Amino acid sequence: MCNACGFPARAGHWTDAGLLTAHDRLRARFRRALVLARVLRPYGLTAHDDGVSAGITLSTLSGASEIVTEPEALWPTAERLAGRRIDILDV
Amino acid sequence: MSDNRLPLTVLGGFLGAGKTTWLRHQIRHGLRVQVLVNEAAGVAVDDALLSDAAGLTVLPGGCACCDGRGALIAALRTLADRRSQGQRVADLMLETSGLADPAAILAAVAQDPVLVHHVRICATTVLIDARNFGAGGAVVPLAVRQLRAADRLILTKTDTVSADAVADLVATLRHLNPMARIEAAVAGQSVALPVQAGVAQTVQTGDARPLQALVLPIPADADWATLSLWLSAVLHRHGDELCRIKGVIRSPAGRLLIQTVRRQVQPPEVLPERAGLDDTLAIIGILDDPVEQTRVLVQSLARFLRP
Repeated sequence: MCNACGFPARAGHWTDAGLLTAHDRLRARFRRALVLARVLRPYGLTAHDDGVSAGITLSTLSGASEIVTEPEALWPTAERLAGRRIDILDV
Repeated sequence: MSDNRLPLTVLGGFLGAGKTTWLRHQIRHGLRVQVLVNEAAGVAVDDALLSDAAGLTVLPGGCACCDGRGALIAALRTLADRRSQGQRVADLMLETSGLADPAAILAAVAQDPVLVHHVRICATTVLIDARNFGAGGAVVPLAVRQLRAADRLILTKTDTVSADAVADLVATLRHLNPMARIEAAVAGQSVALPVQAGVAQTVQTGDARPLQALVLPIPADADWATLSLWLSAVLHRHGDELCRIKGVIRSPAGRLLIQTVRRQVQPPEVLPERAGLDDTLAIIGILDDPVEQTRVLVQSLARFLRP
């Protein structure tokens, strides 16, 4: 890291920026799972995060499920499980 | 007779090439310049980042090579006047918007009857994003015009691609602009170019549709966990059209600087506390109808944020 301008910023995934304590990060995980469950419902998917697993669990209504650990893999995995593209701007 | 006119360096490069990052680093390491900043989206995110410059002028109102040309000429004339009155003015550095054609700016300055006696154009530096240049097999025509206008090309983000890819890019750029000196920098710090010879690649100019800007307001109570989830969903599906997103979001940890280039998101930096245009995202991309697209984005974000 360059000590003049502080670049690069703190490590970790960009979605975790600004979450300083373990408590903040856990709360953000639960919050994300809650929002995701609501957003993915129309696509026939559920999302659940128990806070202990390595990531968020996506499940189809027929019972297939997958734990997503990498934030980058979230939307591609959801699309694969749902069997269709997910465009949140297209309602 | 020595040329006593103010030297002007034009700093160009495509959206997200790393112009502000590079300039900020040069300034922190002792470069004394009067900076003029131009933003395509009309929102000056940059002025907060460049607060250590010897002087800073933010040019509002569109890109300095077309709509905002008047503002640029007026700002340069003001600086020239100040110097004529005996005030010290540092060398000028114009950070163009990512959508500016440096050649058009140089022509505008050179043709101004007043400025021609006060300002000497000394060099055009253009930054090239080593990771995104030619990604997907095509380069927008504007990016080619920008690099052809350069006296000095600086490859940025070379740490994110292989040495072979950098060598090929150097060969390609030599082919497109044989006159320019080519260097490389990572986060503003100079790095060596690979020693091996690369192979020049054929450059296809891609989508020629013009890029437009919109400014998206973010509700002040938006929590970052949800907002980042929303942004990741938007970029997953629309990252190719939304070339560049830049803005400052308030979070419990402070003011987060958000920057994306296509699908890549930079790790957000926490900026010092300061009053500014927070909680907005400037978005530049292939937008056929910016007003309608703003409405769609606002609605979809609201659906995510709903308690």
